[in-house]
Amino acid sequence: MQHELHENTHTPLPPVRIPFVQLATATKEKAADAALKQMKEIYLKSEFILGQAVEEFEKRYAPLTGCQYAVAVNSGTDALYLSLRALGIGPGDEVITASNSFIATAAAISLVGATPVFVDCGWDYNINPHLIESAITRRTKAIMPVHLTGLPCRMNEILAIVDRHDLSLIEDSAQAVGSTFNGQKVGSFGDTGCFSLHPLKNLHVWGDGGVISTHCEDLARELKQQRNHGLKNRDEVEYFSYNSRLDTLQAVVGIEAIPLLEDTITLRRKNAAQYDARLKKLAPHLSIPQTFEGAFHSYHLYVIAANDRDALQVFLRQNGVETKIHYPIPIHLQKAAEGLGYLPGSLPVTEALSKRILSLPIRESLKETEIDEICDLIGHFYASASPSH
Amino acid sequence: MRVPFSFLTEQFADPEPIFSAIREFLKRCDFTLGEDVTEFEKKYASYTGAKHAIGVGTGTDALSLSLQCLGVGPGDEVITAPNTFIATVGAIVQAGARPIFVDSGADENIDVSKIEAAITSKTKALMPVHWAGCPADMEAICAIAKRHGLLVVEDSCQALGARVKGKHVGTFGDAGGFSCHPLKPLHVWGDGGMIVTNSDKLAEKLRLFRNHGMQNRDVVAFYGVNSRFDNLHAIVGNYVFETLDQTIDTRISHAQTFDASFSQSKFAKFIELPKRNTENKHVFHLYKFHAQNREGLLKHLIDNGIEAKIHYPLPMHLQPAAKQWNYKEGQFPVTEAESKMTITLPCHQYLSKDQIQYTIEQVTKFYLR
Repeated sequence: MQHELHENTHTPLPPVRIPFVQLATATKEKAADAALKQMKEIYLKSEFILGQAVEEFEKRYAPLTGCQYAVAVNSGTDALYLSLRALGIGPGDEVITASNSFIATAAAISLVGATPVFVDCGWDYNINPHLIESAITRRTKAIMPVHLTGLPCRMNEILAIVDRHDLSLIEDSAQAVGSTFNGQKVGSFGDTGCFSLHPLKNLHVWGDGGVISTHCEDLARELKQQRNHGLKNRDEVEYFSYNSRLDTLQAVVGIEAIPLLEDTITLRRKNAAQYDARLKKLAPHLSIPQTFEGAFHSYHLYVIAANDRDALQVFLRQNGVETKIHYPIPIHLQKAAEGLGYLPGSLPVTEALSKRILSLPIRESLKETEIDEICDLIGHFYASASPSH
Repeated sequence: MRVPFSFLTEQFADPEPIFSAIREFLKRCDFTLGEDVTEFEKKYASYTGAKHAIGVGTGTDALSLSLQCLGVGPGDEVITAPNTFIATVGAIVQAGARPIFVDSGADENIDVSKIEAAITSKTKALMPVHWAGCPADMEAICAIAKRHGLLVVEDSCQALGARVKGKHVGTFGDAGGFSCHPLKPLHVWGDGGMIVTNSDKLAEKLRLFRNHGMQNRDVVAFYGVNSRFDNLHAIVGNYVFETLDQTIDTRISHAQTFDASFSQSKFAKFIELPKRNTENKHVFHLYKFHAQNREGLLKHLIDNGIEAKIHYPLPMHLQPAAKQWNYKEGQFPVTEAESKMTITLPCHQYLSKDQIQYTIEQVTKFYLR
């Protein structure tokens, strides 16, 4: 990304002063110490596969999802994939989802042999519930809404559709642990909720990891068997499956990370509020992320929609501020989706937003003065821009 | 005396260097496909003599991703052995293909004389398993593959270090899959797998496929999976590499001590060793033999502190999971006989000569008291 910007501008870039991500922080150091201590215990016991720590992690993670059961797996992608498979979705089936998401959402659908059907998003970046029903065919088996950036989807409307058409509901909650809709936690509305523990997530481990939440005891048992080769016991295999276990060492890191989540979200919400207050004055050059009554946004990302986005991004980077775009190419226009028959113009809101969205740093370690500086820079960019802005 | 099966609790006299390396890694925060993974892959490629090594999430994924990236999928058949760990078959099913079993031979590996009879118009690949660390007959297998235009993916999960006439297993076929599971000689502290290949094209595809098919952060070439080797584990793997050859040599030396005893004529009525091929390097991930009154011997050994195991009592074709393919008991007599008679003795690198002698004594005591 930096390389591309460099090419575009032909001027050397100064060092990043305000990075987008800062994984090593003082709060996390304390948790890391605790985790390393636990790791030594694990090492002494040599309990490297599943075992007590994974069970403990699952027990403590479940309440964050509003579900009774949590099943820890190898990645957020696998959480989606295993959910689809356990719910019997496969070749010939269609799954409705959003195109403005990380690729894993559509990939999981494609990997089970089903077809992703993309529905346009609203201006809040989440799937537009009003457009879902017209995408339902007799092949539709499930809806997979994505709580993008940490903003919950309008789950009351989606649930009504799911009920009316007797569909499965899998919530892609990879970016949204701790978010709620009308007081209810994301991941607890659907048949399953799928969470990611990737290092960039609000609650993360030191590598790949994922969690599936569910209210259903049978489904939880099934998922635990699926993640471990389909083994009933050491010697007997009920069905062929594969290996998608959360590493025990990562579970230990997760256990220490869970107590930090509440503060992480509080700080991110505070940062978002500070941005909101400053940036809403810059309309119509940009719009701040939309939220709504009843939504508790956990701000995994803080995404504005900005005029002249590319120039703004370059300008910020030239001034030492690192930003990102989540994501510049919607999934339906990726090479990977070529066979599905989507063309530019298929999803107008998604496509319009992909040219305007910009993710500003929102991490919990961001200082008030840094946010002020970023807002000053954005204000300066639009004030000094040509009249076309 | 106690003779444990697992070596893990003894693995490092001093694990502190690993923990301090983990601390350094926490400062760098390159959690995903970081510099330690790159180093580990380089070591793996150079150790096996392969052009490329690609770290993935598990040994199962090493096999499944190889098949998928070689274009094996629904409608295809893959020929393999029924005496293996479930993951071999799981990987084929995961790719959407159907496993076709061929009986094993006297060395417990796939019987190459029976492979051609199992080939149909749907056969796409052969997946020999270097079972227990003993190389399969790769020259014959590659010749068959060539004759029929088939792919070869070697399940080398138990066989790092094993060689056929000096050439490393995993490098004969199109791809070789390895496991870094904690019970393996080159292991990490969790799940991990490795694919080796000499094909630039396959290596490139696998590197994309394991990481969501992403060409870069924003462009996706094809739908992929998330199956990355954790950087945390690569730190451990890089340490374990330093002692790998020593580990393998010790295991082989223990196995030779066992073989020398159990091949004596006094055991002829009770013990049958799998056929050994001296041209090949068997790394003895498992030390197995066929035992008369296996259940009795197992109980006797366990009662006397020797943690013997069975790999495995139920062959793949008779698993509940294989019901759909209607295999019958009696179809693979060699494998079925093995499953009823095989026993695995502890043979790991931290066992002392005394522990090996004690094990021999106890086997002797059971049969010749």
